[in-house]
Amino acid sequence: MTPRMGDRLTYVAGIILAALFLMPLLWLVSLSLRTPAEVYLGAARFIPEAPTLDNFRLILTDRAFGTYLWNAVKLCALGALGAVIVATPAAYAASRFSFRGKGPVMVGILMVQMISPLVVIIPLYRYLDRLGMLESHLSVIAVYMAIGVPLSVWLIKVGFDTIPKALEEAAAIDGCTQFEILWRITLPLAAPALASAFILNMIMGWSQFLVPFILLTRDGQLPIAVAIYNFAGSSSASTTQLLAAACLVAVVPALAAFLALQRLIVRAIMAGAVKG
Amino acid sequence: MIRDRRVWLWFAPVMLVLGGVYLVPVADVIRFSFSDATLLRPVTGYGLDGYRAAYNDDSLGVVLRNTGLFTLLSVISLQAMGLAIALLLVRGDRRRLYGMGALRTIVLAAWVIPGIANGLIWQMLFSEAPFGAINSTLRLIGLAPVAWLSDPGNAMISAVIANVWQGSAFSMIVFYAARRAVDPVLYEAASVDGASPVAQFIFITIPQMRGALLVNSILVTIQTLNTFDTILALTGGGPGRATEVLSLNIFNRVFYSYDLGGGSALAVLLLAISMALTVIYLLVLMRKGAR
Repeated sequence: MTPRMGDRLTYVAGIILAALFLMPLLWLVSLSLRTPAEVYLGAARFIPEAPTLDNFRLILTDRAFGTYLWNAVKLCALGALGAVIVATPAAYAASRFSFRGKGPVMVGILMVQMISPLVVIIPLYRYLDRLGMLESHLSVIAVYMAIGVPLSVWLIKVGFDTIPKALEEAAAIDGCTQFEILWRITLPLAAPALASAFILNMIMGWSQFLVPFILLTRDGQLPIAVAIYNFAGSSSASTTQLLAAACLVAVVPALAAFLALQRLIVRAIMAGAVKG
Repeated sequence: MIRDRRVWLWFAPVMLVLGGVYLVPVADVIRFSFSDATLLRPVTGYGLDGYRAAYNDDSLGVVLRNTGLFTLLSVISLQAMGLAIALLLVRGDRRRLYGMGALRTIVLAAWVIPGIANGLIWQMLFSEAPFGAINSTLRLIGLAPVAWLSDPGNAMISAVIANVWQGSAFSMIVFYAARRAVDPVLYEAASVDGASPVAQFIFITIPQMRGALLVNSILVTIQTLNTFDTILALTGGGPGRATEVLSLNIFNRVFYSYDLGGGSALAVLLLAISMALTVIYLLVLMRKGAR
């Protein structure tokens, strides 16, 4: 086989794969732009003849999907921020100091990451019920934070590892305290690692279904992932186009964030997979 | 080496958060699993009734079989898909072909889609109504429609397809990184010796990427075992129990049947499997590190 033929095969395979991965999203867009009459025409109307934005208007105004979106942003942004803040000191200590017991603790943190939230949500529900803290965004944010901590510790530690110690030693000679060194020198240099941990946590929080589904029941408090599940339960064939619009509304913010920050995210997945 | 105990202060926030949200609840789940508590009633006694009831339940055999099948098919397909795309990307990069970045972006885009949305999107695609995406396409080209979701066997395949569409990106990235780390000299030498691309794949790529394949298969297995939102939104575990996997079964048991003892007994099983896999993963990483 000549390299040119190999190139052609690569292109063919690439195009088929791209089509396979793109089709579900394109179909979703197609459905969300159709009128009910066109939904019933199936694949024959892949490109709607009378495209309409009414479905989105209905979803975003009548159905309070704007509120669900805002809830999701609030929950996952605060959860992600909390995880990074909690993880940073531990990551710094793990990167800079050597002390007895460090290895087991870091392995323990990694093991926590492998525990399904399903296992801990059962007792958490009971604690929060007893404390009267069900139906509270604060509880959900705290759980999101904990879910994000293990990966954040590892990602941020890897980030600190790449910053030369000499910079910190120079600052120490100039009379900076340990805290000043961390705050003024190390943290700004570790910004890319902090940002990728934050973004990865955001994306995981955006996808989170179990935790808010169990801890929240009041409709006005639900994040978008739970809202579309409930909406699907109440929808029928005649509202398929609305469900498609609702799904698209749930998916687009995650896609937009991903497209804007792809490099950071890819690097974070690699560091996460290789180091733990 | 620092001997000062104060070094642990740096870990205090992490310990507090993980202790409160993970360690104490895990201990409690194990305690509940030996108790007769329900979601709303406190513990009145301890015993093995939860385990006995959960493990003697007729449905458990079906659920475990589903879990095994779903996990096996998913892990194999996710990695095959991830590996195929990764190798394609590496080849494209090497030959400076167009559009490789776009392909990577498209595959990754599916990965950020929430599991619930993934299930709902595929429900629309697999819809058996006359206007369902795949079935109406089949009809357009003159083929018979397929019972994607109402036939028990097909429903399992459909769930795996939805899961693979969303999840392949993770394996793709891991394999892409691993493949690029393989020394190109190996391939040059093999070409000089006249080895075919297939032979190079079998005798260089696979052995060189053995570590990544092993690590990735463990990680993907854990991820597959622990998630159920795609299945919940796609089939709800049906038809009947045809796609009900262990995690979905625990979810239903605890939050719909209020059977806390039984649900906890199965949650302990899920936890034990995850932890056993994690220990294997750590042993693999340590061996790799030692070499």
